[in-house]
Amino acid sequence: MEVAGLRGFDIVEPSSLEEAFGLLGTGDPAVRPMGGGTALMLMMKSELFKPTRLVSLRKLGEPFHGLGESADGKWVRIGALNTFSMLDHSPLMKSHFPIISRTMNTLANLRVRNVASVGGNLAHGDPHLDLPPVWMALDGEVRIVGPSGERVSAVADLYKGYYETTLEEGELITELRVPVKPDWKSSYTKVTTRAAHDWPAIGLAISVQLSGRQIQDLRIVLSAALDKPTRLTAAETVLRGRDIGEALLREAADAATEEVELETDNRGSQEYKTHLLRIYVTRALQDLVSEAAPK
Amino acid sequence: MSDIRTIRFTLNGTKVSKVVEAHETVVDVLTRKFDLSGTRESCRQGLCGCCTIYVDSNPVSSCLMLAWFLDGTDVRTIEGLADGDTLDPVQEAFIEAGAFQCGFCTSGFIMMVKHLLSENPDPSDEEIRHRLAGNLCRCSAYPEIMDAVKIAAAKARSVAKARP
Repeated sequence: MEVAGLRGFDIVEPSSLEEAFGLLGTGDPAVRPMGGGTALMLMMKSELFKPTRLVSLRKLGEPFHGLGESADGKWVRIGALNTFSMLDHSPLMKSHFPIISRTMNTLANLRVRNVASVGGNLAHGDPHLDLPPVWMALDGEVRIVGPSGERVSAVADLYKGYYETTLEEGELITELRVPVKPDWKSSYTKVTTRAAHDWPAIGLAISVQLSGRQIQDLRIVLSAALDKPTRLTAAETVLRGRDIGEALLREAADAATEEVELETDNRGSQEYKTHLLRIYVTRALQDLVSEAAPK
Repeated sequence: MSDIRTIRFTLNGTKVSKVVEAHETVVDVLTRKFDLSGTRESCRQGLCGCCTIYVDSNPVSSCLMLAWFLDGTDVRTIEGLADGDTLDPVQEAFIEAGAFQCGFCTSGFIMMVKHLLSENPDPSDEEIRHRLAGNLCRCSAYPEIMDAVKIAAAKARSVAKARP
């Protein structure tokens, strides 16, 4: 079927970063880098995005590939062109970040996971995506190269708003680095209101450092119901340093629902999603605590 | 710049080449330029599974992939499963179970089931349902499809056992 979004563009496949920067630095927002391309293809087919040029990153080699532990074992480096399936099948990811395989279970389907890339997913800026909030809860950071050099950004600082990132023209995410924290536990709750594999009404990524039932430190990241994945810092402050109990969870849920104003859309009204947030932030914390310190 | 090129790849075991335009999807090229109609475009969003093919042995949605990027790959479509006139055990199982009505989604289901069984020769009901959650059958032949997967799994296991 002919689609206007799929007309009138060219594809280039640079084999060096310099060549890529040259091809991307045109000032034309319809020139886009492409990793796996699954999300971009959907935007093109629905005519939300009409490219003039796609710059495929697949021939860019080493800085975008590989998956391994740092020599000191303190973090894991994930090349931006790793597919979701590569993460899902990686024994290293399974042992350090079991949350990733669990998240993959309800993330799109195998065919998409075989193609979609870690870096493309991070750069896309769609607030409904499942992995960006998870990387945020894990304190992930990205290495970014661009015509004016290289920089490192927390995943949390990549997002400016709805489909808006802090990436400048020509800048490319080459890798994701995630710190290994053996004494932290994490979970991602994808709350869908239609089918299990649907886009989430809310996404909730939580990681906690526990000592018995006491929360030493934590990250709570909410996605999908806001214009970008967002740390719930007020709820975190309520919980930090305290023992998990019913009264504290109520207090944390109050803080969480008060600090954000959720969006109404076809997956639920603001009121409904606020209710979901209250329920699921409580359940997720309870589950993490009972998993780590069974009563 | 480049909006047209010749791609060279392996299609169902045969080396082929074809001139493609930048905007052409894999499913379009298979259907129109190779006359392989078993791979179908239905939802156009990677959700329904009708356009499933293998690229370098991995199932992908051919409606979400540009043909441009097939260059250098090994592609298998539903037409490449049978060995001459001998159907693949998964194809036979779908016929035995009557796991279709209109048949539009069938090739996609068969491709996904064959891949599932190559990874997991004895999947549980839940594993089957989970893996096929990304395949839609609008005639709703799901119970028969579940039967077909089990028949196919039993066939594959007995073939494996019979091997010396």
